[in-house]
Amino acid sequence: MGHLELKNLSVQFGGLKAVNNLDLSVAQGELRCLLGPNGAGKSTTLDLICGKTAATSGQILFEGRDITGLSEHRRARLGIGRKFQTPSVFKELTVLENMEIARSQNPGILASGFVFRTHIRGRLKEVLELVELKDHVHTKAGNLSHGQTQWLEIAMLLIQDAKLILMDEPTAGMTIQETRRTGEIFNSLKGHHTMIVVEHDMTFVRQIAETVTVMELGALLAQGSIEEIENDPKVRAAYLGNEVANHA
Amino acid sequence: MNRTFKTDCIGYALFAILLLVVIPWAVSFDGFALNTYARYLALGMVAMALALSWGYAGILNLGQAVPFALGAYIMAMHLKLQASAHMPGGLPDFMGWTNVEALPWFWQPFHSLPVTLIAGIAVPVALAALLAVFMFRGRITGVFVAIITLAFLVAVQLVFIEEQRYTGGQNGLTGLAPLQLLGWRVDNYSTQFYYLVAVCLMTSLAIGLALVRSKVGLVLKAIREDASRVRFFGYDVARYETLAFCTSAAIAGWAGMLYVLVLEFASPTYMGVAFSLAIVIWCAVGGRESLVAAALGGIIVNLLEGRLSDMFVDGWTFFLGALFIVVVLVAPRGLFGLVQSAVRHAGKTIRSERGGARARWLATGMGARRIDNGGR
Ligand SMILES: Nc1ncnc2c1ncn2[C@@H]1O[C@H](COP(=O)(O)OP(=O)(O)OP(=O)(O)O)[C@@H](O)[C@H]1O
Ligand SMILES: [Mg+2]
Repeated sequence: MGHLELKNLSVQFGGLKAVNNLDLSVAQGELRCLLGPNGAGKSTTLDLICGKTAATSGQILFEGRDITGLSEHRRARLGIGRKFQTPSVFKELTVLENMEIARSQNPGILASGFVFRTHIRGRLKEVLELVELKDHVHTKAGNLSHGQTQWLEIAMLLIQDAKLILMDEPTAGMTIQETRRTGEIFNSLKGHHTMIVVEHDMTFVRQIAETVTVMELGALLAQGSIEEIENDPKVRAAYLGNEVANHA
Repeated sequence: MNRTFKTDCIGYALFAILLLVVIPWAVSFDGFALNTYARYLALGMVAMALALSWGYAGILNLGQAVPFALGAYIMAMHLKLQASAHMPGGLPDFMGWTNVEALPWFWQPFHSLPVTLIAGIAVPVALAALLAVFMFRGRITGVFVAIITLAFLVAVQLVFIEEQRYTGGQNGLTGLAPLQLLGWRVDNYSTQFYYLVAVCLMTSLAIGLALVRSKVGLVLKAIREDASRVRFFGYDVARYETLAFCTSAAIAGWAGMLYVLVLEFASPTYMGVAFSLAIVIWCAVGGRESLVAAALGGIIVNLLEGRLSDMFVDGWTFFLGALFIVVVLVAPRGLFGLVQSAVRHAGKTIRSERGGARARWLATGMGARRIDNGGR
């Protein structure tokens, strides 16, 4: 049984089935790439897993437990973390304050009432160094560059230390070097965290991919290794004139 | 969190000096003036309470007067019972006029001072918690919170005016006995009484600061910016909002109790729309992002009102409205925002002047020597 299982999952917005009878199983410690043309339902799938959107039908099992009806914060407490497509950091707060919010292993009020300081040491220091934000800890997040903002959100997910990390286009707006670094970080997380990464950048996908899942019109189109996917005629048709076709 | 601690301590210390030393000296310990200032402090306290929920958590509570008035009525009920001890059945005079035969059960507990003091905080908190659970579990935010709290205010006031037999109706509760506190007969025109109010304000302010400077305050700020993002980190947002709302109600109830001691009566105007909106204005004028500033806002605006309403009796409300518009347009962050940007600006000027001086020094002394060395 996988770490995360989606069973016959659907969600309907008005007349549109954004996710349509989706079945998906991701193993413990696996990094799964989720591809698909614009509007395929990738972000919506992540929304369903983290609780942002409620499913119309179907089931979500995490570590064997049915979480379909749980609220967002309960799912987060079970160990599901989410990076959003548009960088969602707290712009009014400093980098360090953002990290303190993300350091949410004790999210209760009573525990928070006794925290007055954020010490830059241990894992927090490591993560800040890893994403090169250690010299900017007192900068307001709203004043960071786009790439740095992406890094900050990734750093927040690392310090949140979720067992399942959902990444929605983590490298959008990054330079080639920054993208490579992100790939290295993701590769180092393999085995420790289960990850689902939505990406359009095929160079990046090749760098990190194990198994790739392709969606189209809310349903599963193909699944396999990166070579299999790139040579799949169905995928080529779905992406006609799109990146996979170009790169293959 | 780490950096603002020093600023807080300075602000708190300055405020303490103002309250405990400057004001009493400035009025040369005159009992009448001290009573007036004690009134301003109680109002500053309720403005500070609003900053806790509005400034930090973004909960615009237009019904802040409800917990304040509840605290006030509860204290007044105790004092009224004390004053009615010699009446037949210990019944307050207005109950006699409206043919109430026995003291209603919900008046009974307020014979006891400890019960009164606890209830003056616990009842507003309980009511706030009820409203908070309904609003925040239902994820009601922004302007809808403002509408609900305003409607709640109007409803509560209506009940207090309509139930004249039990509440004194439009007249409120008057003819109160002075408070007997541990054998001390509290004289509201005494220096001791002023210090009692001042110490209460400083204590509640310390509690508020501890709360907002802990991680709770940080989470509240994050909620104000993007509540749903906070949920994805595992925080129960509704709980944090409820905490802010209820702490605010507790301090407001406390301030209400003090207010009755100052003025010696409780009136339904304490839960009026005009009064409740005035609290919002004080808080905005002082600056809702800082508890000290909000308290100062309450004190300053009321001080102004005291001075100006003598001169223009009816013009004052007009002035207050105009003041609010000006603040919203010119300084949306209140006096606190103005002071903060002035300090930043001054800091920058000093730094750049220092930089300039060093550059000149380099160009003359140091620079010349370097050239010498280079020539050798
Ligand atoms: N809350 C919503 N209400 C109505 N329709 C929605 C909602 N969210 C998504 N949709 C629709 O569902 C479909 C799938 O959207 P989704 O954002 O999941 O696509 P995506 O695969 O992430 O695309 P992209 O690559 O552009 O990010 C789109 O047609 C979108 O317009
Ligand atoms: Mg998307």
